[in-house]
Amino acid sequence: MDFSLNEEQRGWQVEARKFAEEEIRPISIARDQIEGGLEPWDWNIIEKGSKLGFRTLAVPKEWGGPGADFVTQAVVMAELAKGDSAMSKAFSQNWKWSHLIASACTDDQKERFLKPFLADHRYVMGRGITEPNAGSDNRMPPEDDPKAGFRLRAVRDGDEWILNGEKCFIANGSVGSLFFVDARTNPDVNVKQGGTLFMVPKTTPGFRVGKVFNKRGWRFYQNAELIFENARIPHANVVGGVGGAAKSGRGDNTGGDLFGDLELAANAVGVCDDAVQMSMTFAKAHKRVGKYLFEQQLVQLKLNEMMALTEALRSYVMRVAWMHDQGTHSANAGLVMNWSTDVIQRVTRLNMEIHGAEGCMMNARVDKLVRDAMVWTHLAGDTVQRVKILKRIK
Amino acid sequence: MYDLQLTPEQLEMRETIRDFVTREVKPPALHPTRLEPFEKPLLADVLTQASQMGLRMLALPEEAGGAGADCLTSCIVMEELGAGDVDVAMALAHTSGLARSIFDGLAPEPRKRLLQQFIGDDGYHLAIAAYDPAAQAGWSYHRPLIDDHEPVPTAVKQSNGDWIINGTVSLVPNAPIAKLIAVEVRTDPKKTGSNGMTTLLVPRETRGLTVRPQVKATGATRGNDEAIIRWHHGPAAAVAFEDCRVSGDHLVGKEGQSTLARGPAAARGLVEVAAVNLGLGRVAYETAVDYAGIRRQGGRNIIEHQSIGGKLADCAIRLELARNMIWKAAWVLDHPDVQVGSGAELPLHVVARVYTAQAVHEVTLLAAECFGAMGVMRDMPLQKYVHDGMVFFHQDDSDDAAKLRIAEALAGYERPLAQTA
Repeated sequence: MDFSLNEEQRGWQVEARKFAEEEIRPISIARDQIEGGLEPWDWNIIEKGSKLGFRTLAVPKEWGGPGADFVTQAVVMAELAKGDSAMSKAFSQNWKWSHLIASACTDDQKERFLKPFLADHRYVMGRGITEPNAGSDNRMPPEDDPKAGFRLRAVRDGDEWILNGEKCFIANGSVGSLFFVDARTNPDVNVKQGGTLFMVPKTTPGFRVGKVFNKRGWRFYQNAELIFENARIPHANVVGGVGGAAKSGRGDNTGGDLFGDLELAANAVGVCDDAVQMSMTFAKAHKRVGKYLFEQQLVQLKLNEMMALTEALRSYVMRVAWMHDQGTHSANAGLVMNWSTDVIQRVTRLNMEIHGAEGCMMNARVDKLVRDAMVWTHLAGDTVQRVKILKRIK
Repeated sequence: MYDLQLTPEQLEMRETIRDFVTREVKPPALHPTRLEPFEKPLLADVLTQASQMGLRMLALPEEAGGAGADCLTSCIVMEELGAGDVDVAMALAHTSGLARSIFDGLAPEPRKRLLQQFIGDDGYHLAIAAYDPAAQAGWSYHRPLIDDHEPVPTAVKQSNGDWIINGTVSLVPNAPIAKLIAVEVRTDPKKTGSNGMTTLLVPRETRGLTVRPQVKATGATRGNDEAIIRWHHGPAAAVAFEDCRVSGDHLVGKEGQSTLARGPAAARGLVEVAAVNLGLGRVAYETAVDYAGIRRQGGRNIIEHQSIGGKLADCAIRLELARNMIWKAAWVLDHPDVQVGSGAELPLHVVARVYTAQAVHEVTLLAAECFGAMGVMRDMPLQKYVHDGMVFFHQDDSDDAAKLRIAEALAGYERPLAQTA
């Protein structure tokens, strides 16, 4: 066994740490405290990070990207998240779809979409699965029931498909240039057989962004409604085959799904690192009735728990990243994602307990970490997500 | 005998308040235009309506013109108000509790005069700039207390009997809306800790009294550019006294013997705060139960999925236990001469506060999880319930300091007098 990072991985880690400390962290609270859904977003930080390669990190080398491995991706996500969890996610969200394009798209599609993605520092992507009544928060629908799953309708019209319906909470929805959208091409069969994945550029006629969601946590990160009113998509934008949404979008052959599980867990490591560091600094600098908090046993026990949980999560995340690089797939990716919910919630809560409130005031970053952590409860640790992972355990 | 059967009056009052909360409090409190912004101004109209219902004078003795509610009845009312809006509930809890304790210490004439003003004005609220050197005492576990409290205002008696007050208090709940502020001042500079403290009443318009602006919800900083946010329920602000002169008849109780911050009135206040906290947890839970009953996923309402049912049951268990503890602590305060058996050696009001804060925090998170992504959306109430629940962790001393106080009590530890830092 060898737990050390190689030179390239270490290089990305140092670069990400520097960018997080010098560029992300200084604006983190200010962006978080801007009212509204779209308003906290800042293209400036995306452009700066993009120039250093953080937007395109997962694009394969043969297509002109850095082609970073999973271990590097996990390390970079954690470093960026230590500066700001939501900003880290805004970068890594693009990696997910870089994996998908690389593994599931035709050369023609790569030419049309991967090249502009690489060329434009403001080109970001998202995936639309969730709908108001269907999606990742679905309460275990009977899988073979045609009524279960997404309902957005796609009807063939010559060389085009006409899409009608809406997607909800879509990542990068309000700022994205390209969306991968799951639609029902056959509503009479189950979603695996009747679902098809489309590539939808934001300029598509009949397509528009609806409500931009204003969230408690991850305020920088964008989630929006996508509205389709007779939106016309060329057949050439179908990913994989018609009726192959499940295979092309969710199957392990794309890397997209595996990465998605790793993404939230790796991001949580960065948030926990931040919380541990904040608590240590605070406990050594602040006294209660004449004694440093660091010398109080109850505080020591909290610090111990925070550190143990954070290191255990890091170990699990790195093991899963390593397994992905070896091409080994297991339920661990899902399990570590679920568990990261418990860890990030507990560690950010303990950080709040150690800081406490002073008078009628609370450190804004302590509160932010708790708010960001709450996002995990429905993205990563929802009971549905936890139950679904069991299907991967053979 | 410890009795959990509510009286017809208590039941009727609960129904009245519940109806008021449903009709008048929730619609403005939960409107998306109020939920979304960080800054949530106090619902002044709701506060006035509550005052017109007599809730400002809930605990004021009947003889003095109030409803004379005991602690248990006050808790029942506060739970209902907390389910509507925690800020309004906390403002009323403060005023009602202080009305019960501060007027009785006055001489008959000033008592009558100030009571008249208080009763006749729906916008007349009360505040106390209290001094409790033992607030963080738990951290001095089994050791004498080091008094690192901020400097206390001082008052010097003039030849005509007036007092001149100088000093500041950094956090005074209700100060922004109070028309009369009780302040605990040091009148004997030779004494330390709680000794030599006197309570004076300062009308809002008194020259030399300044109520500072309330800390903003976000955007403020302190010290070395540390970003801070407001972390408090109900209106609160710093209060400054600069050569502030009050008449000698505004003295509460006896000179040098102020007990407001530490006596039964303070314990009672803590239980009522726990009741507001409980109301918050209950409304989060009820909102989740309602939603789970109509939200269909996987071919059935989600309440019929085990994973949701388990969460809701966990909420119900915690809320029932918290309410039992609050009611028991309230009942004990209402019956000071009665032996309650188990737990008698414990500060039950502290137990109630600590348990309720933990339980409600868990309840709000579980309730929000039932809503999936909608649980974190700022135009929905769940994320506010979660935030409000966390603020209750720090509404008195911290959880850890409170637990250590309980541990000292169960060990029978009696702390020697405070030492100056």
